[in-house]
Amino acid sequence: MVSKAFRSTGYFIEYLALIFSIISVWTIMSNQGHLNTIILPAPNSILETIVELVADGALFTNMFISVSRVLQGYFLAAFLGISLGILIGLSKHLDRVTELIIQMIKPIPPIAWIPLVILWFGIGESGKVFLIFLGGFFTILINVVDGIHQTDPKLVEVSRSMETPFWKHISLMVIPGAAPNIFTGLRTGLSSCWMCVVAAELVSSTTGLGYLIMDARQFGQTDVVIVGMLTIGIVGKIMDSLLRFAEKKTLRWI
Amino acid sequence: MGGLSASALLKQEPYLVIDHVSKHFEQKKQRLNVLEDINFSMNKGEILCIVGASGCGKSTLLRAISGLDSDHGGQILIGGNEVVAPSKSRGIVFQEHRLFPWLTVEQNVGYVLTGISKEEKKKLVQEYVELVGLKGFEKAYPKELSGGMSQRAGIARALVNKPEVLLLDEPFGALDAFTKIALQKELKRIQRKSGTTMVMVTHDIEEAVFLADHIIVLDSKPGRIKLEVNVDLPVPRDRNSYEFLQVKKRIYEEFFEDEKIPEDFSI
Ligand SMILES: Nc1ncnc2c1ncn2[C@@H]1O[C@H](COP(=O)(O)OP(=O)(O)OP(=O)(O)O)[C@@H](O)[C@H]1O
Ligand SMILES: [Mg+2]
Repeated sequence: MVSKAFRSTGYFIEYLALIFSIISVWTIMSNQGHLNTIILPAPNSILETIVELVADGALFTNMFISVSRVLQGYFLAAFLGISLGILIGLSKHLDRVTELIIQMIKPIPPIAWIPLVILWFGIGESGKVFLIFLGGFFTILINVVDGIHQTDPKLVEVSRSMETPFWKHISLMVIPGAAPNIFTGLRTGLSSCWMCVVAAELVSSTTGLGYLIMDARQFGQTDVVIVGMLTIGIVGKIMDSLLRFAEKKTLRWI
Repeated sequence: MGGLSASALLKQEPYLVIDHVSKHFEQKKQRLNVLEDINFSMNKGEILCIVGASGCGKSTLLRAISGLDSDHGGQILIGGNEVVAPSKSRGIVFQEHRLFPWLTVEQNVGYVLTGISKEEKKKLVQEYVELVGLKGFEKAYPKELSGGMSQRAGIARALVNKPEVLLLDEPFGALDAFTKIALQKELKRIQRKSGTTMVMVTHDIEEAVFLADHIIVLDSKPGRIKLEVNVDLPVPRDRNSYEFLQVKKRIYEEFFEDEKIPEDFSI
């Protein structure tokens, strides 16, 4: 037990070592006056900004708003990505019909959609949710289709030989068979959605982390920009870890 | 369909009829004849064993009977109806166990059961899990089982639905001699009790003679029926009786014709 705890402490130190060294070098450079504080503020002033932003509630309020937008767009992407993915994965015909259009729309970055989205949805919430949806949808869809195509045909045959009813076949054979790929899609999809949040909040927003960053930029508050960026990074990491955990729990059989 | 089976019954036709079945595969524009003009028939409740060298088309024939592969020449009739698609009234034990890796042993075994209550399902699953000696492993995933245990789970899965026809592709291949003999006896018991018609592929001649009412030996390239043997020995069969050994020897010699000893079989 002792040695195990010792070892995991060791891992923890390694885990943080690089971040720690970067911050140290950064602090030393700032203290010696090598860095222009407008271009790159010192770590301690960033820390002060964090305390300030937390104290007046701006950081968490904006964070929660962004997270809730991302979750809305993401759940929509996951739901449609998985259900359409299953349909396309099961039907050779549908696969052929949709392949070209999917491959053409997929490479268009969400930012390029902004003008259209404003025209279609106006500047309200739904447009932002739609942009986030676009960010994750295709990744999830394609992974689900791949997962179904890669399922062992011998196992599909077993289910077929038992005349399994449709919904049972979908829930006990098709989805678990494709589950590893579905999770890959869900994880990359979530990080794409999260990355889209700044783009989505560029659409005349007055809230959210994207707004926080863009607003601070206009006033030259580099420290706030950096705090916003760090928050996006940390929240993204936490969301990915949660999904990884869910994946590990779900794919117990592997 | 109903009319067909009624007339079949009237004429006292055999239950399972394989009528001029042939099968070939196309590979890189090469035609590979795997089965050629296979004909046999059997009555309800009988056991037929198919023996033959590796690659001679045993699994292919079994797939055709199961309805998983209906792209073949000739006709397969069960109870007077042509087999064109798989049916859950035909249980299959695959050569590879083919358990769903994401389901536990009991979930795998219970997969086929639909339209019965939870308690009934649980009871049935438990009965067959115990039958194949997997008690205590109900909650295990296939990755946690040995090869022989997986095979036994696969057998339980095929039996649990009480199929009318049971198709078994080397079901005991990965088992130790003791388990194998126990399961052979169990299979024979089930067949006598439930009247299940069984078609079983095996490499084990003794197993075939112990279980079968009929044995067919397949030739390879192309797969034809080389020999058909009716085993009329009383049940239970004594593996060491003179008659048993005679049948075994006859089939054995079919594989090793060169070693034929002339003084035998001059009945
Ligand atoms: N899907 C397929 N496509 C092409 N050839 C096939 C296919 N399935 C089987 N074959 C060929 O058909 C022949 C018979 O295969 P089959 O699996 O029926 O043999 P088997 O008698 O069951 O052998 P074993 O005892 O090793 O299981 C083999 O030569 C194999 O290469
Ligand atoms: Mg085989």
